[in-house]
Amino acid sequence: MATVPDHVPAELVKDFSYFTGPGMCPMRGGDPQGALAALHDGPPVFYAPNNTYDGYGTWVFVRAEDQRRVLQDAETFSSHRKIFEKALGYDLPTIPLEVDPPEHGAYRSLLNPLLSPKRVMAMETANRARAVELIEAIKAKGNDCEVMNEFAFPFAVGVFLEFLGLPQSRREEFLGWADKQFHGTPEERGEAIRTVIAFMQELVELRRREPAEDFMTFVVQAKVDGREMTDKEAVGMGALLFVAGLDTVAAAIGFDFRYLAENPKQQEELRAEPKGVVLAVEELLRAFPTVIMTRIASRDTEYDGIKIKKGDRISCPSMVANRDPEEFPDPNTIDLARPNNRHVAFAYGPHRCLGSHLARRELAIAMEEWLKRIPTFRLKDDVAPTTYGGHVFGIEDVRLAWGAAGQ
Amino acid sequence: MKIRVVKEKCAGHARCWAQSPEIYDLDDEGYILDHDIDVPEGQERAAWLGAKSCPERALVIEDYKKDSAA
Repeated sequence: MATVPDHVPAELVKDFSYFTGPGMCPMRGGDPQGALAALHDGPPVFYAPNNTYDGYGTWVFVRAEDQRRVLQDAETFSSHRKIFEKALGYDLPTIPLEVDPPEHGAYRSLLNPLLSPKRVMAMETANRARAVELIEAIKAKGNDCEVMNEFAFPFAVGVFLEFLGLPQSRREEFLGWADKQFHGTPEERGEAIRTVIAFMQELVELRRREPAEDFMTFVVQAKVDGREMTDKEAVGMGALLFVAGLDTVAAAIGFDFRYLAENPKQQEELRAEPKGVVLAVEELLRAFPTVIMTRIASRDTEYDGIKIKKGDRISCPSMVANRDPEEFPDPNTIDLARPNNRHVAFAYGPHRCLGSHLARRELAIAMEEWLKRIPTFRLKDDVAPTTYGGHVFGIEDVRLAWGAAGQ
Repeated sequence: MKIRVVKEKCAGHARCWAQSPEIYDLDDEGYILDHDIDVPEGQERAAWLGAKSCPERALVIEDYKKDSAA
């Protein structure tokens, strides 16, 4: 176990890790979110000495109410954790995620309208057509498929390219970068991050020279605090879109489809009553969120008598808040029509996921169009998907079959 | 029935609006408008559902009579 800082009392230390703990390692038929829900049986705040992939300890906040307090206080609990520094050798803050209030407000205000609920509705037709095209291609091919590679990732990447104003012909290239960045070895990850950053830098330069009707043109022409955006700022925004918008949406589609494959009755109910999909997507976001929010204390502070020092890492697992019995009756029961579902798959506070409205629509469109076009589906040959923990939970393969396939 | 809006807590989830668009108005950025809401008679249930859906607890229900939302 890694060293425990002096200010952490021994009774608050718990041997725990998002990467190696029970249910967290990659395994077939795993349930990493369900495994973490067991934290509600223990102390509400504890210290895990080795809880990041690069060997740092983190405080873990278990209760929804405590996570809410931490994440709403972005000045004490900074979101600037320098996620690219190791790979790049210099700090490139992803914007607006890694900029805290009050500076955060100007960037956030600039980008909010691009991803507001109303704006997302305007993208609906194109995004739905993209989902339909992919599903029809799968259907034409036969009676089975692997959802992550054949649908979830191509769909999420397609939406991303459209949002950025890039041609769909670049999909394969982006898929390759995404695969390496999210699922590669540490070396491959570093290389993919540098590739993405270099790509964004080129895009910024191109749009300064040749403006178009797209996201990066908007960014390089926008004024923040009365001045033009720097290259570094524009690149940091593009990089965040890439990191935040691909793996998370694809993983959520994977978890959702696995759930429906394993629960044919609920699958049929939704197929018969497609209006239920919007609520079902919310409940599946509650049950299977993928992101663990990490913060860094910007100053020495105290939280209900616990001493937290400047530089301490604080971890708020959304999947644990979402299974808090104080917040949700019967938290481990999945009720696709659950009312009052104030889940926090998209975090709390000023850094609440900027892309959440788009992500929700992507999930609903994916499920609606899939259920409409693919008959009752199941896990192919009863092969359960491989799931894993970490800072972003994921699912590697979701092999589905329908009709006579595999029988 | 009145809904008190704690604007500084609004983080733009827009769950209130998704639940009850007739009660809750959003600005162009997707955040709630900065004024308390007098709920018209007959819309208490919708207002209650919207307020209960806020993950940030930014919508406080006041003068709530249980019968009216039942």
